[in-house]
Amino acid sequence: MNLLIESVLTFAAIIGFGIIFSVPRRALLLGGGIGVVTWLVLQTGTAIGASSVIATVMASLTAATIAHLLAKKIRIPVTTLSIPGILPLVPGSRAYFTMLSFVEGEYIQGLEYGVETMLQAGAIAAGLVLALSIFSFGKGIGNRYETGH
Amino acid sequence: MNAADEVMDICLLAGEIMLTYGAETYRVEETLERMARAAGFTNVHCFTTTTGIFLSFEERKGKEDLMQMVRVDDRMQDLNKVTEVNQVSREFTSGELTVEEAHERLESIYHSPVNYPIWLIHLAAGVAGGGFSYLFGGGLGDLLPAFIAAVAASVALVEFERYLKVRFAAELAAAFLGGSAAIFLVFIGLGFNLDQIIIGSLMPLVPGVPLTNAVRDLLSGDLLAGMSRGVEALMTSLSIASGIALSISLFI
Repeated sequence: MNLLIESVLTFAAIIGFGIIFSVPRRALLLGGGIGVVTWLVLQTGTAIGASSVIATVMASLTAATIAHLLAKKIRIPVTTLSIPGILPLVPGSRAYFTMLSFVEGEYIQGLEYGVETMLQAGAIAAGLVLALSIFSFGKGIGNRYETGH
Repeated sequence: MNAADEVMDICLLAGEIMLTYGAETYRVEETLERMARAAGFTNVHCFTTTTGIFLSFEERKGKEDLMQMVRVDDRMQDLNKVTEVNQVSREFTSGELTVEEAHERLESIYHSPVNYPIWLIHLAAGVAGGGFSYLFGGGLGDLLPAFIAAVAASVALVEFERYLKVRFAAELAAAFLGGSAAIFLVFIGLGFNLDQIIIGSLMPLVPGVPLTNAVRDLLSGDLLAGMSRGVEALMTSLSIASGIALSISLFI
């Protein structure tokens, strides 16, 4: 029941965000759907005991993969789908508590929250990077060796 | 006006729209190079950073190269325009559009208003704020105050930007007003979890587009653009944080 309410609210919130970012109409509902999947993966990951960073990487990878597949299919830029997709993972709560701790003068606590925020953001980036790498196989991106010669 | 000049114009117009409204750097470069090649030019090179685009190409061997740049001052978020320019460039590259038609389409995209009416954007910000306040651990009773506070923050952001035209000041003021509204609503007894309501009301201000683009740019080797986008996102986050810190230290 709780999960159902969360899913509905995620869907609504992501569509709201889609309108803020002015995502084209035909991608709005898709973005909301990806957001719900992301949220469910995150909850599943936490439920089976993965740390929040690992769960975030998994969720972000799922979101970016679905976004890449769908974007190819309906021919729109990937960002219009991947940005709504990763929004449920944004560490807004931790960032807020970082700020709150610093305001209240509890610097050690603030640093702790700050590091957690950075790790969470890094995890989102890692998921995006992994998905992008998978979808760039063969096409090439950021090469280090001239293996073609 | 000769053909090369015309193509240069539409390429740069397309690039300017895409970069202004939140496309990734690699997409701008790739689109411009494809369009110029499709128009039959050789030796096409495009260099894009977060704040400007350089494009050069050669009409034919022996003739002088053409080289132009545009400076991009504003960076906003309107992914619909990026999608539409993408569509135009795809049609132009495959030969379905002539240069004049492409120019017309791009001009109309450039001058068209935002995809959604402004009241809908405020409403959407409210829904997003309410939803996220619940997801971050608030109760169902916090939905309404988070909705009101997020709408207040969104209205403040748009109106301050309209009159002040200073982005970071507008973000700071929006965060301050959103936070103050949340504190006031909890004070009069509407809503219980102050922290979650404040977080919800600030979520619509989060710089999602520059953050995602920064990751993408850094990975595809556009280090300069990636770094500058990351710094942009960081500055937005900092102005939101200082706005909310101000309201908390004033009212609590």
